[in-house]
Amino acid sequence: MSGGSKIKSEARFEGCPVTETSAGMPVKATYGPGDTRDLGYSRDVGEPGEYPFVRGIWKDMYRGKLWTRRVFTGLGSASDTNKRYKFLIEHGETGLYCFGDTITHMGIDPDHPMAKGYAGVSGVSLVCLRDMYELFEGISLEDISVSFNNPSMAAAVIYAAFVTAAEDMGYDLGKLSGSILNEPIHLVHSMYDVNARPLELSARVATDVIEYSVRHTPRWHPIAPNAYDMHEKGANAVQEMAFTIAIMMEYIRRMLQRGYDIDQFAPRVNLLGCACDIDLFEEVAKFRAARKVWARLMRERYGAKSPQSWRLYLSAHTSGHSLTRAQPVNNIVRVTLESLACVLGGLQSFDPAGYDEGYYVLTEDSALTSLNIHNILAYEARVANTADPLGGSYYIESLTRTMEERMWATIEEMERMGGAIKATESGWMRDELERELIKEQSEVRQVKRVVVGLNRFVVPEEQEVPIRVGRDRPLEEQIATSEKREREIVELRSRRDQGKARRSLEGLRAASGEGINLVEPLRQALRADVTLGEALGAIRLGYGASYDPFGMVESPF
Amino acid sequence: MESHGAHGIKVVAAMTGLDCHDRGLIYLTSVLRNAGMEVVYLGMFNTPERVVKTAIQEDADVIALSYLNDHLYMLHFPRVVELLKEKGAGHIAVVTGGRIAKEDRPRLAALGISGFFGQEATDEEMVAHIQQRVAGRRRAGSSRTGH
Repeated sequence: MSGGSKIKSEARFEGCPVTETSAGMPVKATYGPGDTRDLGYSRDVGEPGEYPFVRGIWKDMYRGKLWTRRVFTGLGSASDTNKRYKFLIEHGETGLYCFGDTITHMGIDPDHPMAKGYAGVSGVSLVCLRDMYELFEGISLEDISVSFNNPSMAAAVIYAAFVTAAEDMGYDLGKLSGSILNEPIHLVHSMYDVNARPLELSARVATDVIEYSVRHTPRWHPIAPNAYDMHEKGANAVQEMAFTIAIMMEYIRRMLQRGYDIDQFAPRVNLLGCACDIDLFEEVAKFRAARKVWARLMRERYGAKSPQSWRLYLSAHTSGHSLTRAQPVNNIVRVTLESLACVLGGLQSFDPAGYDEGYYVLTEDSALTSLNIHNILAYEARVANTADPLGGSYYIESLTRTMEERMWATIEEMERMGGAIKATESGWMRDELERELIKEQSEVRQVKRVVVGLNRFVVPEEQEVPIRVGRDRPLEEQIATSEKREREIVELRSRRDQGKARRSLEGLRAASGEGINLVEPLRQALRADVTLGEALGAIRLGYGASYDPFGMVESPF
Repeated sequence: MESHGAHGIKVVAAMTGLDCHDRGLIYLTSVLRNAGMEVVYLGMFNTPERVVKTAIQEDADVIALSYLNDHLYMLHFPRVVELLKEKGAGHIAVVTGGRIAKEDRPRLAALGISGFFGQEATDEEMVAHIQQRVAGRRRAGSSRTGH
């Protein structure tokens, strides 16, 4: 050999080193007929559109109607977000997505001491009724569905504002379609748990929204439990669905207690907002298994008779934590794979993450790329031509069955604890999530779980494929935006009819104390220019809790 | 990952403001505990005042602050350092992680804030960094006054 060292391919003889799914289910090197022999097609799998809906909830699936194509949206003011909506609809978006800023999620107002700098940052600021008019100005709400990502209790105010604004804008409430997240239990595990307290109150308010919606907005999904955040906080694929279905059961219980028949409301409380991560086959099996668990739960446990009650609608946001800040162009590949899993899993809607999600809220560039992932899958790749194309695969059917069994085991374990709220209050769910999160993170750190660009195949920053990524707004601009918003709200409060506002807040407080449905009193309060934080404060006071979730603001009335 | 020099180090781990992305902090807490440090986990939604008050009450060696969502850490983190000084607790080291923008780091570093642990930081790096910060402080013999 002549002089000089030569570069060698280190990975040449590497095999696929992984022998289990992300959730730890063992995977064999080959699957065959023996793995599915005991599965009866019509009993255990079923045709698409037929019980138990493993293969999808509609017979013709995407031939009949493609999935709803959404992109994460929510930035600045309602009118900034409205502009983005129009841009996206122009480029093929078929469903709107509304993500509130942190303080909207928390249910506090922009002039709250904790809110300094946060209004309109990483989400849209929604505080009062007029924001809702601005948000949908010039968009036909009867022709597009809206997905609101607002958790409870803020969700009750957002829903009341949406319904009121839509009515004022002349729409038929019976034709409004979309969903609102409206669920507090997950908050204790995932995010803004301050706003979820007291949990009994927030679960009751969430049920009020369900009840009102079943009566007045019959095409609306008034709750879409947040499986996504569960996943992002550590839940593996089995836990993600099992925990979330167990959470939904809390609301089913409450609606039954209010005297409703299961078939009256089950067709409206059958939507989950999932994550879709990079483990493609596991994700497909997860969606298939969850549909079956739901169908059996509805039919066998709750005695639902309407097939519409048996159908589980699934939506997803592709996993944010699967993305990297390094080499952001690689995120387009990840998001595409995850989006493919959503299609192969037969989802009703999903939103592909922005490739620059690790940097900032989606820019127009990354939003357009996300939208085009939809468009390419829907129109170019021919993956939507036939229902459940992976159905019948020895591996997928076997994995689907294993996941279904494990989901049942978890749901039953939680039922033995007394349900999702009990499993939350005892800290059991949090411990489960933390254990999974730490396990996953340790695997990444030890390179047992490869993340390209992060723990293998790292390139120096200057060698990264150039791509425009969103830039954070400078701090000064962020604070200025937030302060402007704060001034607007303070001004709104000073200009309104004070007597009317006060009376409506008193009404809300009394209604909360008496335990009557709060949506109508909320609508009246919003008409009196009451703000989000005030309305929730009145509800908390009526229940006997403190006005401010942080205990920092005195009740103004 | 037992690390001898880590025993006896007490860390207050917190997120400030309304950022709710606490995966990193949960993981850091588990790493530091496994290394033998004592961690007081404050979680989300803390004001700088609460963080500093707790660190002083707990007689902590280190405050570990995490932030991911936006730039508001540039309001919160300098305020933590300022409060520590005001309260005569300047010996408490401040380390950070999450998503701290490169352009912000020199300003924070000038205040004595270090670490900037991101997605790519290894367990060993994080533990070693905190040990070094504490050893540095102890060597410098910073007077532990104020409590």
